[in-house]
Amino acid sequence: MLFVIWLVPLLGAILCWAFGPQLKRAAGVLGSAAIAVSFIATVASWGAATQNGGTHQFLFSWLRGFDFGLLFDPLALIWVLIITGVGFLIHLYSVGYMWNDNAVARFFAYLNFFVFAMLTLVLSDNFAGLLVGWGLVGLASYFLIGFWFFKPSAVAAARKAFVINVVGDVGIMFAIFMMFSRIGTVTYAGVFANPHALDPWLFWICVFLFIGAAAKSAQLPLHTWLPDAMEGPTPVSALIHAATMVTAGVYLVARCAPLWSASHDAQTLVGTVGALTALAGAVLGIAQWDIKRILAYSTMSQIGYMIMGVGVAAYTAGVAHFFTHAFFKACLFLGSGIIIHALSDEQDIRLMGGMRKRLPVAFWAMGFAVFAISGCPPFAGFFSKDQVIYGALEHGYVWMWAVGLITAGITSYYMFRLFIVTFFGTYRGELKPEAVGIAEESSSAAQAAGSSVIAHEHSEPHGHENGHAPGWIMAVPVAILGLFSLVAGWIMAGQNSPWARFFASSFPREALPPATVTEGVTSGIAIAMFLIGLGVAYMRYGTREALANAPARLKRESETLPAVLVNLYYFNEILDWLFVRPAQALGQFFGRWMDPHFVDGVVREIVMTNRFLGTLMRSFQTGLLRAYALIVVFGAMCFAVYYALEGAMR
Amino acid sequence: MSLVLIVLPILAGCALFFVPRSDRTVSRITGCVVAAITFFLPLVTGNDGAISAHWLSRPFTASLHFAWGGLSFWIVLLLALCTFCAILATNMPQTRTMIALLLMLEGTMMGLFTARDILAFALFWDLMLIPPFFALVGWGEHRDTAWRYLIYNFAGGLLLLLATAAFGVIYGSTDVIGTGHSIAGAWAPWIFAGFAIAFAVKTPLFPFHTWMPATYSDTPPPMVAVVSALQSKGGLYGFLVIGLPFLGSAMAQWKWIFIIASLVSLLYGAYIALVQTDAKRVVAYSSLSHLGLIVLGIFSFSGVAVQGVLVYIIAHGLFSAALFLILGYFEEREGTRSLARLGGLGALNPKLAGAFTIAALAALGLPGLAGFAGELVILSGVFQSGYFWPALIALIPIVLASAYMLRLLQDIINGPQVKDIPERTDLSWVEGLAVAPLLAALVVLGCYPHAVTATAAAFTAPLAAVQPQAAGTLALTKEQHDR
Repeated sequence: MLFVIWLVPLLGAILCWAFGPQLKRAAGVLGSAAIAVSFIATVASWGAATQNGGTHQFLFSWLRGFDFGLLFDPLALIWVLIITGVGFLIHLYSVGYMWNDNAVARFFAYLNFFVFAMLTLVLSDNFAGLLVGWGLVGLASYFLIGFWFFKPSAVAAARKAFVINVVGDVGIMFAIFMMFSRIGTVTYAGVFANPHALDPWLFWICVFLFIGAAAKSAQLPLHTWLPDAMEGPTPVSALIHAATMVTAGVYLVARCAPLWSASHDAQTLVGTVGALTALAGAVLGIAQWDIKRILAYSTMSQIGYMIMGVGVAAYTAGVAHFFTHAFFKACLFLGSGIIIHALSDEQDIRLMGGMRKRLPVAFWAMGFAVFAISGCPPFAGFFSKDQVIYGALEHGYVWMWAVGLITAGITSYYMFRLFIVTFFGTYRGELKPEAVGIAEESSSAAQAAGSSVIAHEHSEPHGHENGHAPGWIMAVPVAILGLFSLVAGWIMAGQNSPWARFFASSFPREALPPATVTEGVTSGIAIAMFLIGLGVAYMRYGTREALANAPARLKRESETLPAVLVNLYYFNEILDWLFVRPAQALGQFFGRWMDPHFVDGVVREIVMTNRFLGTLMRSFQTGLLRAYALIVVFGAMCFAVYYALEGAMR
Repeated sequence: MSLVLIVLPILAGCALFFVPRSDRTVSRITGCVVAAITFFLPLVTGNDGAISAHWLSRPFTASLHFAWGGLSFWIVLLLALCTFCAILATNMPQTRTMIALLLMLEGTMMGLFTARDILAFALFWDLMLIPPFFALVGWGEHRDTAWRYLIYNFAGGLLLLLATAAFGVIYGSTDVIGTGHSIAGAWAPWIFAGFAIAFAVKTPLFPFHTWMPATYSDTPPPMVAVVSALQSKGGLYGFLVIGLPFLGSAMAQWKWIFIIASLVSLLYGAYIALVQTDAKRVVAYSSLSHLGLIVLGIFSFSGVAVQGVLVYIIAHGLFSAALFLILGYFEEREGTRSLARLGGLGALNPKLAGAFTIAALAALGLPGLAGFAGELVILSGVFQSGYFWPALIALIPIVLASAYMLRLLQDIINGPQVKDIPERTDLSWVEGLAVAPLLAALVVLGCYPHAVTATAAAFTAPLAAVQPQAAGTLALTKEQHDR
């Protein structure tokens, strides 16, 4: 059964890839079916994961210490359920979304391959296998970000995502070296049996593992690839860059709970990075206009929450937020995909507005998801976010608790800003871009992108010549995800919730002193923060007067946004100056000057001062090339023949 | 039987000179059949094909002794496979001559990798320079390159010969590969120095690499595929079968020179590859970087690292051959290999682009492909032997590799088309068949490198004498071997 879960998506990928030209749109059905089979198999093997600490399956060994196998336990089960369950809904939606794309078979091959890779990551029973999955999801992400490979921006984004993720990969590699050389094995069972056997490197192992987690999960300062990754088709953003792959870092820390519980310094470090990322991402979300980029920064911020949760050893809370986030963020992305689709690839919310009447399914589903992400009870996000924030306090990190609450308010504000500007008021798409404050350069860039699309008609993303897919195929997954945005949190309510019981034996437990503020008070403050955010957003965008003057107000806001936010805290520039430019300069220096003039120069100098070789080189320069070729070969032949004869004569 | 591996390709190569100059079919079929025979012969015979004839008795004993046991087995298979693929991919003016040269190259390198006598090893070391030299003379873009290749490598070969003679005089025999014991004494470090410089030139290792980029970019694709995949392994093979067993203490004495040189190669090659504008030169400098990793693994004297070294030797052979063949296909179609003038070729050549992608990913160390297995195991062993900083520094080129390999890949297959070419043909089935076995082997070896690592026991045995830590890993390797 485990092999069905794991390998059927791979089979789907291979079939879609091999028979793409024959399958055409049927590839979507095949790809979705493969994920459906995997999901059903997962549900059917529920018991195998939850009883007796899960199922273990040995596969093979590279050499001693590098043993590969599969481990299916409650933590893996939750991830597999989301990967295959939400994954299936997104596959279904993609059938509609990619209806008119000529490369639809390639798309589903990549998407199925991603699911396989992600399953490898979460089902592996050792760090080397995890790293294999880790690299393969990075590859799938690379393929899908660069899916429209004729767009230079997509190509650059794909490369950036891959390279930053390799930084994470080598972090995990180095952690593996340390574990392997300390205890001679890299299996979870071997490493977690006694974390203190890793001393004095335990903290550093956590640090290097977290470099991997931070790169994959877009934590500061390795987050810059995620907003760029929105170049990929929207279902990809929903599946890979919101619901599953980017949460791999959360999985890694939760999986390594025995290590984190044994190292208090590692908890502080990871919790701090998570809290700062949550805040920084939310603040950037305020200043964005591209609907997918707003959602990307919100993903970064929400994963910050999860990382903060698992980092401070509130593992069930962190995983809970992963679980609910998968539904509401996938819902938000797919809903925005419906809007983008309906508006012929327009992504700027200043050119939207009034979508409530036109796209009711998107309105209602995204509405549920917006309430969920903002932390409004009884929507899903309220329960899980509350647990994370309270978990930080419970484990003694008061400042993280405060940051978590502030971030909750900001989240509420920027999500309702998105919601109101997009869905209420009147449609602004017919206005000139300048009327709503879109700068000249960005609109001309959009035109350039458009012309490059036209230049490649054979692979144009959304032609309309083939008509549209049936409407339900995109609406149903969004509606289901919207529903789960409401109900998914209900299993987490209360002290002895089903969620807590499910993970009862999965994570190490610590005896904690009672927190200074009760959970009830925390919830109260969180609800207050939600209301404040909602209120501010309403005052700025939602009042009747604001809606009536929307273009002018949006224009004014565009012009007055702080430069530091518009430029994303200058992270791209800083990383560019710190790493990219020095590497290129070094390459130029080595390649243009040092190699030809110094290293080779010395060799030439030695050769030229030697009289014999010097003569040889001079004669060569006079053009006696062929003569010398003959001499060399004859010399070699004579040498060979002489020795062969001498051997034969004896 | 191993004589067949040497003589058959050389004779077949000579015989091809008697078919008409313009011939393609006969040469290709002959070449493929010969390469296939040399591939399957070691597989089906089930022994090590040893053959031995007395050669010299003064001043030391030497024999014409050849066998394909141990590490040779895998390299012989790799050589036969790469030759097969290169012959299939040969499509140029004078196909016949190129195939003849490829066969001769295969024969001479078979001699190198199956030699059980160091003198015979040294003999083939020089003989194998001849076919690439003529390929460079015949097809190269700069005459200078051919000479530089020959002189540089002959100089190395001369040192090798001197070292071999000294070794023979001291040890009494050169018919020793695969047997014997470590030699000590005042001369050992100098003998090792002779061997080591020859090996370093061939590998190549910084600062002896400057013949390599020009050679790789000037040599026609089928020839450079085999040269980069196999000739460079001559030096590494020498370190493993001559250095470790006989000159281990001298190697240990000078190890820091080699560790530093290998780290410099790793970084230097990677940084230069980052900014090259000629597609073949990107791969050439990446080779410098990758082979530095292997040297680092060897000089960590770790039983674990040596297992990784074997995997990576095979992996590098596979992906560099595949990359050069594929770049050759692009060059043939576009008439250029300047990255600035290529671009957008993926849309019209999807199969070619797919093959290129797999090869490039293997080269950048994607988990699941063979390069990664080698890297992970080598560096685990290096770290385990206590080389903390070298292992950490060696991670930087892995990140750089992803940057330069993706740059190469994307600049060629992605992006808008640089120019309009109405008729373009995707991979033909012959061209596809020429790279498919290499790519398939990369996947298989990447998932299951145990087949190769299991043969490492023979090379890890001498490590115990060199480095105390290796004793533990030695026991480990043997147990692994028995399993």
